[in-house]
Amino acid sequence: MASPHTEQGTPATPGAPAGVPASRGRRFSSRRAALRRRPWLLLAPMLIVLAILLVWPLGRVIWLSFQNYGLRELNRGTTNFVGFDNYAAIFGDEYLYSVVLPNTIGLAVACVVLTVGLGTLVALFLKGLPTFWRYVVSTALMIAWAVPAVTGTYVWVFVFDPSNGLATNLLGSLGVIEPGTVNWFLERWSFYSIVTLNVVQHSIPFVAVTVLAGLLTVPDDLYEAAKIDGAGAWQRFWNVTAPNLRPVFAVVTILSTIWDFKVFTQMWLMPGGGGTNPQVFNLSVWAYVQSFAQSEYGMGSAIAVVLTLVLMAITLVYLRTLFKEDEL
Amino acid sequence: MSRPDATRLTPRKLATAIAQGVGVIVCVVFFLFPAYWMISTSVDADAATRGAELIPSEFTLAHFHTVLGRAGFGRYLLNSALVAVVTVVISSLIALLAAVAVARFKFRGRTAILVMVLIAQMIPQEALVIPLFLQARSLGMLNSLLGLSIVYLAFSLPFAVWMLRGFVAAVPVEVEEAAYVDGASWGRMFWSILFPLVAPGLVATSVFSFITAWNEFIFALTFLQNDSKYTVAIGLQRFFGQNTADWGPIMAASTLITIPVIIFFVAVQRNMVSGLSAGAVKG
Repeated sequence: MASPHTEQGTPATPGAPAGVPASRGRRFSSRRAALRRRPWLLLAPMLIVLAILLVWPLGRVIWLSFQNYGLRELNRGTTNFVGFDNYAAIFGDEYLYSVVLPNTIGLAVACVVLTVGLGTLVALFLKGLPTFWRYVVSTALMIAWAVPAVTGTYVWVFVFDPSNGLATNLLGSLGVIEPGTVNWFLERWSFYSIVTLNVVQHSIPFVAVTVLAGLLTVPDDLYEAAKIDGAGAWQRFWNVTAPNLRPVFAVVTILSTIWDFKVFTQMWLMPGGGGTNPQVFNLSVWAYVQSFAQSEYGMGSAIAVVLTLVLMAITLVYLRTLFKEDEL
Repeated sequence: MSRPDATRLTPRKLATAIAQGVGVIVCVVFFLFPAYWMISTSVDADAATRGAELIPSEFTLAHFHTVLGRAGFGRYLLNSALVAVVTVVISSLIALLAAVAVARFKFRGRTAILVMVLIAQMIPQEALVIPLFLQARSLGMLNSLLGLSIVYLAFSLPFAVWMLRGFVAAVPVEVEEAAYVDGASWGRMFWSILFPLVAPGLVATSVFSFITAWNEFIFALTFLQNDSKYTVAIGLQRFFGQNTADWGPIMAASTLITIPVIIFFVAVQRNMVSGLSAGAVKG
């Protein structure tokens, strides 16, 4: 498999046995043709799987979004095209602007700002720590990162449980609240505060570890030079760290944005988040509830398409950043 | 950021040390708290009425007995393990082939393939779940664990390809050239030369595919319709009553789900960081 070299016309010959060159020309050209096909043969299984599991469903969800597709159509296997009616219904619904978009965007902004901000802080802190303590803190980070969203969410639900959660009892014993009278999951702001805490706690490790990896590549002389020039810690961060880490910050910010825009599990498992309290839906949950609770698959698909388009737009920015940094 | 001189303790160094100590404590508490709270509740005899106590007053394994015995949680663990193993085997195989293609061959469309693999990771599962649910329903594959494993390929595969690409590229081409010159066939080169050298990367990628399938929630929620087919992520919900939650067993079951993930994750994490910063997927 000396392919890149062979194709570029520099076959690996140094140790080749003598006597081969005679038939070389013809063998070489047939080898060339085989080599041209080979990458596609290797890629074929992946392409087939992705076509069936990603491309085709994506096409179908767009197709469905133009239909009034409910239980009747599902059972009879018929189609019922309504053009852009589903989209008109979504964008004409006050609910989108007063509840779903503020929830979706608010959560994403809060989570991204907090994750990237605190994650960077943790990374800077880790860099200055002695080796042993750096190891201790990064192990804690790894464990936080590894806890599955499902079980992590249940822990926070338990902590804020209205009858015997840790937070309820602590605040109760301090006399701040009367246990049993406060249910944080009912109200939008407190519900989203808990979701934010949950998501941020789970996502900081990725940002911290990535930014730390970036920090370790910044040459120490730059900091020394800045110090000699009389720059304080704050100035050193903005004038040395930030410009050098721009690509790293771009990547973690965009990835966090994509993840935080479509939070589902953390929401779904919280009391009320699983479809019973429409005040706390975001785009993901709304799409899911429309489809699987209301059996309005067409409408659900249209919401899912809107979500996908938003994420695609963010992805494009992401790809442009990657290409600019020549990472591919 | 020069290293502190350990021999002399100036007030400034003392202040730094104290600040670092406080920082370490804050970080460890904040990041370990959910895992700690889950495990300590799972062995706490008074979990049902658990108050603000931070250390269980009476240790018990009763919640684990409840979960594995009466509640039959073992079944869910087995289902999850089955789904995850099938996902790992198929996706590793397919991903390795694809990774070799993009890491070793220069061909027209290579960049397009890489871009596609990246984009595939951004497609929200919420958009795929509707059509795939309808399709699985019409094929009669809704309650099938195999069907679920196949669906999971959609998420594990792009990630695995992206990750393995780096590992394959890291194997020096000269090794393969030498084997080629010695007359090894292409297949032999693949299995006897490349495969063993990429094995560590393959292990790391497999662990991540395993965790993806093990943790997956939305498709399991939608596809699995009866109790005997539930995976762990869905099975947990069985411990919630109408208005009550049985926190002891819930946290015991959560612990059973989480411990293997933590062990796997921490074991392979080091291999993954470089690849992750190049833009893969959150664990």
